[in-house]
Amino acid sequence: MSASGARPARNTPRPRDAGPGLGERLRAWRELHLYSLFSSIGRMMQRPWATVLTAGVMAIALVLPLCLVMLVDNLERLSGDFRQSREVSVFLVPQADAGAVETLAQRLRDDPQIESVLVRSPEEGLAEFRQMTDFSDALALLSENPLPAVLVVTPASQLEPLVLAQRLRALPEADFVQHDAQWRARLNAWLGFGRHLALVVAGLLGVGVLLVVGNTVRLDIQGRAEEIQTVQLLGATDGFVRRPFLYLGAWYGLFAAILALIVATLVPLALQPAVAGLVESYGAGFRLRGLGWGVAGITLLVSIALGWLGAWLAAGHHLRQTTPDAEAKA
Amino acid sequence: MSQLRFEHVSKRYPGGHEALVDVGFSMEEGEMLFVTGHSGAGKSTLLRLIHLSERPTRGAVFVGGRNLATVRRRGLPQHRRQVGVVFQDHRLLMDRSVFDNVALPLVIAGVARAEIAKRVRVVLDKVGLGGRERALPMALSSGEQQRVGIARAVVARPRVLVADEPTGNLDPQLAAEIMELFTELPAQGTCVLVASHDLHQVRRLKKRVLVLEHGRLIDDFRPEAAA
Repeated sequence: MSASGARPARNTPRPRDAGPGLGERLRAWRELHLYSLFSSIGRMMQRPWATVLTAGVMAIALVLPLCLVMLVDNLERLSGDFRQSREVSVFLVPQADAGAVETLAQRLRDDPQIESVLVRSPEEGLAEFRQMTDFSDALALLSENPLPAVLVVTPASQLEPLVLAQRLRALPEADFVQHDAQWRARLNAWLGFGRHLALVVAGLLGVGVLLVVGNTVRLDIQGRAEEIQTVQLLGATDGFVRRPFLYLGAWYGLFAAILALIVATLVPLALQPAVAGLVESYGAGFRLRGLGWGVAGITLLVSIALGWLGAWLAAGHHLRQTTPDAEAKA
Repeated sequence: MSQLRFEHVSKRYPGGHEALVDVGFSMEEGEMLFVTGHSGAGKSTLLRLIHLSERPTRGAVFVGGRNLATVRRRGLPQHRRQVGVVFQDHRLLMDRSVFDNVALPLVIAGVARAEIAKRVRVVLDKVGLGGRERALPMALSSGEQQRVGIARAVVARPRVLVADEPTGNLDPQLAAEIMELFTELPAQGTCVLVASHDLHQVRRLKKRVLVLEHGRLIDDFRPEAAA
């Protein structure tokens, strides 16, 4: 069945005119982006409670790896003093008197491969021990000082402390030589493990952030499904439809990152008194360091990118579901 | 050359329901016609095939000489910019002003702001809403909202305009006013298809009428031919 058309209208004006030029298109494109940028934040502000909840969940997911990074960083700093220490302690035999100790110390100082030698007499060791422990009363009961004299030997830069320790062990006056190479190796391994753990946790929680943003944007898309369908029927491209949601996701990412950085800044401040007390009990001083500007910048960028990506995935899924090609396949 | 042509078009939905069966007709530039029929006759499906919300199961639809089967996903927006759509429920964006609603197709098309302002004012004057640019749709009556919907549909000067029961929610007097607006559009060179079951309005306007029944085109009535 077919019926051909009726009245010709040859003199009527063309219904469509030439499209806008490149300059106009670029200006319109910029205006659209600015509009999407600010309208998306306006939409977030219309639902402050939902926005805070979403950004809060994302922020918590970001804080955990940030705290791990901070922990590893501070442990590295704390252990850095130990690791950089090149000192080798030589505990001398108890029979060594003060004269023999001084002679040995001078002999070592004459060695060009040794930078310095510090002598700690048994009396100095006992006094130090009394200051560092709560056993001063018990120590007072001892009839004689059980501590040996100790030489603290620092090698010159060209000599490895491990090699020096082996040489010092060969001395007849040496009872015990202490150098913490094995302990340092284990600490390095633990710190390496900590760094990898932070990366794995960051990856897993990054996926979590992606899912949270994706789900939030998906709900927003569902709430605006009719509006989206309308603008699609008016000729909107996928990019036009997707754009405000991408900015929405990016805003969520930004707010979450800011929240996470605030929390990550407060954590060391909250822990500092306890850490200071703990470290002081070992006779040392240490101040917890927060995240640096570099990590903060990376956190902001990654969080914004995750928000953007989550929104892109959610919007893309919706757009694929609403094309006539998809309906035809169904 | 016809601006709109249906060639042996059928549409069967996945459940087996045949919404259109072997429908064929064509329209010239600046022509207006009504599509009538009972509920479920296939009026809305016919319009949906034009703006490619759906695709035919068989046959071909041509707009401006182009077979719509060749329009793929990336080409959809460009095609839809040639087709103005008026909805029964207006489908206005309630959080945007009358101006912003009408400007939307031009914004989507990337038209410059000054040109948008000029065109929107002209078209709002035509539909009798000059001076209401800043109003929100909620502040307008149902008839005024439909005028905004019509203004939005024509502001980008589409090749074809389709309206699905545009007066379905309006009282008879408002419906008559809205229908009068549609009759003015062909003068701009736009093909206008209005799906309506309001036979009183259809007869009053003395335009070409396609009658659908159970998806089949059973009549293609031209008043001027009958006169």
